[in-house]
Amino acid sequence: MSAVTIEDVTKTFRQHVAVDHLSLQVPRGSIYGFIGPNGSGKTTTLRMIMRILYPDRGVIRVLDEPTNRKNHRSILDRVAYLPEERGLYKQMKVREVLRFYAELKGFRRSGPEIDAWLKRLDLSAWADKKVQTLSKGMAQKVQFIATVIARPELILLDEPFSGLDPVNTDVLREVILELRRKGATIVFSTHDMSVAEELCDFICMIYKGRKVLDGTLESIQNAYGSDTVRVQLDVPAKLDDLPGVVKVTDLGRCQELRLAPQADTQTLLACLMQRGRVHHFEISRPTLHDIFVRIARPGAEAEEKGHA
Amino acid sequence: MRKMLVIAVREYLAAVRTKAFLITLIIMPMLMSGALLVEWLLRDYHDTKTKKFAVVDRTPGARLYPVIEKAVQAYNEKTIDPATHKPIMPRFDVEQTPPSTNTPEAIAEQRLELSQQVRKGELFGFLDIEADVLEVEKYETGKQKETIRYQSNRPTNLDFPRLIEKPLQSAIQDLRMEKAHLGVSPEKIRWIMRPTSVQAMGLTRRHPVTGAIEEATLMDRIAPVMVPIGFLVLMFMVLMMTATPLMQGVVEEKMQRIAEVLLGSVPPFDLMLGKLLGMTAVSLTITAVYLGCAYWAARQYNFVEYIPPDLLVWFVVFQAFALLMYGSLFIAVGAACTDMKETQNLLWPVMLLVMLPMFLMGSVLQEPNSTVAVGLSFFPFATPMLMILRQSVPPGVPSWQPFLGVGLVVLTTLLCVWAAGRIFRIGILLQGKGAKLGEMLRWVFHD
Repeated sequence: MSAVTIEDVTKTFRQHVAVDHLSLQVPRGSIYGFIGPNGSGKTTTLRMIMRILYPDRGVIRVLDEPTNRKNHRSILDRVAYLPEERGLYKQMKVREVLRFYAELKGFRRSGPEIDAWLKRLDLSAWADKKVQTLSKGMAQKVQFIATVIARPELILLDEPFSGLDPVNTDVLREVILELRRKGATIVFSTHDMSVAEELCDFICMIYKGRKVLDGTLESIQNAYGSDTVRVQLDVPAKLDDLPGVVKVTDLGRCQELRLAPQADTQTLLACLMQRGRVHHFEISRPTLHDIFVRIARPGAEAEEKGHA
Repeated sequence: MRKMLVIAVREYLAAVRTKAFLITLIIMPMLMSGALLVEWLLRDYHDTKTKKFAVVDRTPGARLYPVIEKAVQAYNEKTIDPATHKPIMPRFDVEQTPPSTNTPEAIAEQRLELSQQVRKGELFGFLDIEADVLEVEKYETGKQKETIRYQSNRPTNLDFPRLIEKPLQSAIQDLRMEKAHLGVSPEKIRWIMRPTSVQAMGLTRRHPVTGAIEEATLMDRIAPVMVPIGFLVLMFMVLMMTATPLMQGVVEEKMQRIAEVLLGSVPPFDLMLGKLLGMTAVSLTITAVYLGCAYWAARQYNFVEYIPPDLLVWFVVFQAFALLMYGSLFIAVGAACTDMKETQNLLWPVMLLVMLPMFLMGSVLQEPNSTVAVGLSFFPFATPMLMILRQSVPPGVPSWQPFLGVGLVVLTTLLCVWAAGRIFRIGILLQGKGAKLGEMLRWVFHD
C-alpha cells in the first residue's frame, strides 16, 4: 500500500539528465519530504507523478494504479498538486476561484467546505474580494485551499512554505498534519531543513537527479553516525590535531568536531581536558542541514566517497 | 468531458462578464465602418475657402465664358447655408483671361504662365478652351483629342471641371448646331441623340401575397452584393474578436503561472479544448447579437427575404468551425510564446490563412461559381468564409457543396486541434524563451 511508487525512472531533457534511475516509495498516510538543491530534479519528479511530464523510462504508480492515458483523468481527481510557480486568475473572486478548482476535481456543492477552509485560514473576510486585492501571503493560502479543497488522497506540494511568514508557516504546518490525520498522504519538496526534520516521516534527498538519501530522519542520521561532537572550552584552542578529529567547524560560541569512523569519544574528552576547562561536551547527531550541505556542497562528492 | 466543460464555462464567463466585452461588441462594427463614420462626422467640415480659376476662352467671340460664369454663379448661391448664412462649400471665383495669339508657341507660353500662377497659389487651376471646339465643317477628318483642358496641381479635387462640364457640353452642342444651319430644331436633334443606357436590374417576380407581378427594386440589386460581403466581414470580425483574446488568455496564464496549477487538475488536452469550446461559445454569442440586430433591422426595413434562414444556419455552423479551426492555431501560438510580443513573430502564418478569404473576396464575388472560386472554397482554411460568400450570392451553390465543405473543415479542425494539443502540452510549461516555428513542428511529431 503505497501512495506513490517510482521504479527506475529516468527523464532526460536534450542532453541534460534531470532524473536518473530514480526509485522510491511513498507509504500511504505519511508525510514525505523531498529535499535537494535547486535543479536536482525534485520538480521534474513531481511533474512526472502528475503526468505533466512523461518519464523516458521506468514506471510510476499513483495510489496503486499505473499512470497512463486511460486512468489519468480519474487519478487526477484523487491527487492534488501545488506547483512551485503558482498563480490565480486575478479577476476572479476568491470564492469563485475555489469553487472552480473544486469543480475541476469533480467536487460539487463545495460551498460549506470553502467556508470552513476560509475560516480555518483566516480569510473569511476576503471570500468575495477579487484575487488581485490579496497580499502575496494571502494569495498563497488561497492557492493552498484550492489545492486541497476537493479532499484529495494524495497531496503534492512543491515548496509550499516559500514566501510565507513564520505565523503562516506554522498555520500551514498544522494544516498539513491535520490532513495527514484525516488519512491523506502528503509529499512536499522544501529547502527548509528544519521544516523537513520536524514534519516528515520520510525524507528523500535527490541530488543531480539521483536519490542520495531515503528513509526516516532517524535512519538517515544513524547512517551518518554520531560522528559529531560539540565542545566549548574556557580558552580558545587549536583542536584539529586531536586524535580522531577529521574536521573542525567554528560555530562561534562552540566548535564542532567531526570524528573519524572509529574514533573514541572518551579518549577525545580526556585529551580536551588537558587543553583547558570543558564547559560543554555534546555527542550530537548531524542535523539534516549538515547532511544536506555535506552532500550538496561543491566538491563534496569526492570527499563523501572517501568518507564512506 | 466534465473538466472540459468546467474550463469552458469559466472561459465563457470570464470573457462575457467584462465591460470590455460589451464595449468591443458596440465599437467593433463602428471600427469596421470607420471610414464611413468619419466621413459622416466630418461632413460639415468642408474646406470653405474661395477657389480661384482662370478661364481662357479661345473660341471666336468667347461665347462659352458666359456659360461658365452662369454655372458658377448658380453654384456659388448654394455654397451658403440659407438657415445659418454660413459657408458650407468653397466659393468658386472665375476670371476670364484674354487668349494669346493662336499659334502653338504662344498657346504653350500662356499655359506655362498660368501654370506658374497655380504653382504660386494665385490660382487653384485654369480652364483652356481651344478655338476649334465649335468647328463643324472639318467633321470628316474629325480631330479626336480633348479641346477643353483643365489644368491644376491638385488632381484629386475635380469639383470645378465637374460643375461646368455638363453646361459647357450642351452650350457647345447648341452653338455647333446653330453654326451648321441644319434646318432642324436643336431640341429635336438632342432628342434624337439622347443616350440610351443599359440598366442592371434584378429579376421580375410575383408578389407572394398579392400575386401581382412586380419589378426588381433597388434593394434587389444591392442586397446580393451587400449580404455576402456583410457575412464575410462579420465572420472575420468575430474571429478576430475571439481568437485573439483566446491566444492572449493562454499567454497570460503562462505568464501568471496559472497554467501548471490547472494541469494539476486537468490533462492538457482537456484544458485546451475547454478553452476552445468556451471561446466558440463566446463567438456564437457575438454572432447571435449581430445577426439578431441585422435580422431585426431587415424586418424593420422589409428586406428579410435577402437573408434566408438556411443561410443563417450555415453561417452559424461555419462560424463555429472556423473558430475551432483557427482558434486551435491561435492557442498553439499562445502556448509556444512566453509573452505577447513573441506572438507577433509566430502569428503571421496563421494570420495569412485567416486573411486569405478577404483578399479573394472580390474575385469570388464576381464569379462565385467559377472553377477557381469553387476550388478555393474547398480549401479548408478558406472554406468557412468563402463558402458562405458563394452561398449568399444568388443563385447560390449546389446543395452538396456546403456539406462537403463542412466535412473537410471538420477533418482539418480535428487535425489542427490534435496538433495544437501536442504543442500546447509542451509549450504550456515553457518559460523564459518562446519557441520557433520549427520547434513547434517538432513538438507535434515528437512523442
